Amino acid sequence: MARRRYHDGLALHQALPGQFLPFLVAAMSFLAALALAGGIAAHNLSQRWTHGAGAVTTVQVPGPDDPAAGSGTRIAAVQDILTHAPGIVAAHRLSDAELRNLLAPWIEQTGDASLPLPAVIEVHTAAGQDPMSPLLSRLEAIAPGVMVEHDSIWSNRLAALAGSLQACALLAVLIVMTVAVCVVMAATRAGLQTRRQAIVLIHSLGAMDSYISGRFASRVGLLALVGGLGGSLAALPMLLAMSHLAAPFSAMTDAPVLAPVDWRDPRAWADIVPHALLWMLLALPPAAGITGWITTQLTVRAWLRRLP
Amino acid sequence: MFRLHDVSYAYGGNRAGVAALSHISLDVAQGEFRWLLGPSGAGKSSLLSILSLEVQASAGMVEILGVPVMQARRSNLARLRRRIGTVWQDFRLLPDLSVFDNVALPLRLQHRAEDEIAHEVHAIMKWVGLENRLDARPLQLSGGEQQRVAIARAVIYRPALLLADEPTNALDERQAGRLMAMFHRLAELGTTIVVATHNDAIVEKYPAPAIELAHGHMVRDYR
Ligand SMILES: Nc1ncnc2c1ncn2[C@@H]1O[C@H](COP(=O)(O)OP(=O)(O)OP(=O)(O)O)[C@@H](O)[C@H]1O
Ligand SMILES: [Mg+2]
Repeated sequence: MARRRYHDGLALHQALPGQFLPFLVAAMSFLAALALAGGIAAHNLSQRWTHGAGAVTTVQVPGPDDPAAGSGTRIAAVQDILTHAPGIVAAHRLSDAELRNLLAPWIEQTGDASLPLPAVIEVHTAAGQDPMSPLLSRLEAIAPGVMVEHDSIWSNRLAALAGSLQACALLAVLIVMTVAVCVVMAATRAGLQTRRQAIVLIHSLGAMDSYISGRFASRVGLLALVGGLGGSLAALPMLLAMSHLAAPFSAMTDAPVLAPVDWRDPRAWADIVPHALLWMLLALPPAAGITGWITTQLTVRAWLRRLP
Repeated sequence: MFRLHDVSYAYGGNRAGVAALSHISLDVAQGEFRWLLGPSGAGKSSLLSILSLEVQASAGMVEILGVPVMQARRSNLARLRRRIGTVWQDFRLLPDLSVFDNVALPLRLQHRAEDEIAHEVHAIMKWVGLENRLDARPLQLSGGEQQRVAIARAVIYRPALLLADEPTNALDERQAGRLMAMFHRLAELGTTIVVATHNDAIVEKYPAPAIELAHGHMVRDYR
């Protein structure tokens, strides 16, 4: 019988309508997803750029044909050390032609082609390792004036850039969360105001604060969960497309793949999208729900404190 | 049952506020029936709202059903409210609930079973003579009918303390007589009852001890 339906007078469907709040929370979740995705992408790219395969170190040996401290020429001694050191994938001495090619702009400027050139060795190191540092003193001993140049300036700059991108992403998420909390608070207060008469009445009939705040919080928590779900779903195609485009830059293999993807196969998605991103999308709706629930609990309890 | 000692109350705070009650001391035992008398504006409703725990006294000591109200925790006050029934002067029925749901409200807040609730609601609504208006909305009822719904809601959970503010002002003489008989019966069963009125005729017809207020002061407490 309709009249026997549970009615405690709060009429929450009226107090907290089901369209406005989920829509706003969905928009917030969408923004948060994009910001988080940016943060995750920055993290992944910086990992790849600073520790990835293909990090190149150049070693300049001045006076390559001078005798080394031990025996033989300096360049031979240096090459010997480099080729036998662990963690070094390849050590390739640039030919004179390669070198002149590389230095062409400067040589043309000075107009002096007979300038004594140093020998330059390109050292490819294994991913995630720094085999050069322990060698420096040995290299210096056999070939004084040797210069080892990492692209570490670049990788440091990239790391700093990635760090600030991540900080921006975090800040954006915090701002979005603050706005979401304020929206939930405002909606809850408006809901309390529309049902003020009923709330005051059931309060004087002996309803506990926890009962009233619990009823509001479960409604808002549910609406926020739905909103978060909507935001995640809306962000998914965008993040898939972006991950697909970013794949060649962040993949750990050197081959730039932009192979066609079978979008109907979720396992194919998992290959493209960084796992952190998928987890983030999964975590977003419950996070929105819990945030809404807690915010509403606190808002309603604070409001009820006005009643004795 | 309830005791007030040197209780004062001012609307809008103690300083700038309107003093509604000053230095009220009272001691009413279990099962007593008391009239609460005084001209309009004397402070009758204010005193009842302190007893129904709708407002906190600004000063003094209030003890209801053995609970010291000023020191009690919020959850204990909520539990205490479930033992106090109130018929408000303005009824306070929820317009968007049916008569049935309005009367069932206190039982639902105590999470009683629905069939038990239905049974109780039908019994009490039969007693107030509105058993065929259960599906109506309060605003579809006459003033006297609304008042009877408010009375039904106040007594349905068998409160230990029953407070009624002008409960007969919209009732005809026969209805008022039935209500007085019910109050009498409830008092016999141990309910403490305070009824505010400025209807001298009914007080004369049903003599009982009275608390009399004027301008927020107690002028008499006679038995
Ligand atoms: N909400 C309020 N805000 C400010 N003052 C109020 C409020 N309610 C009552 N008062 C004042 O408190 C005093 C006592 O009012 P109260 O309602 O207790 O009187 P009463 O004896 O119940 O009167 P009546 O017989 O007309 O119902 C009055 O002077 C009134 O103006
Ligand atoms: Mg009054």
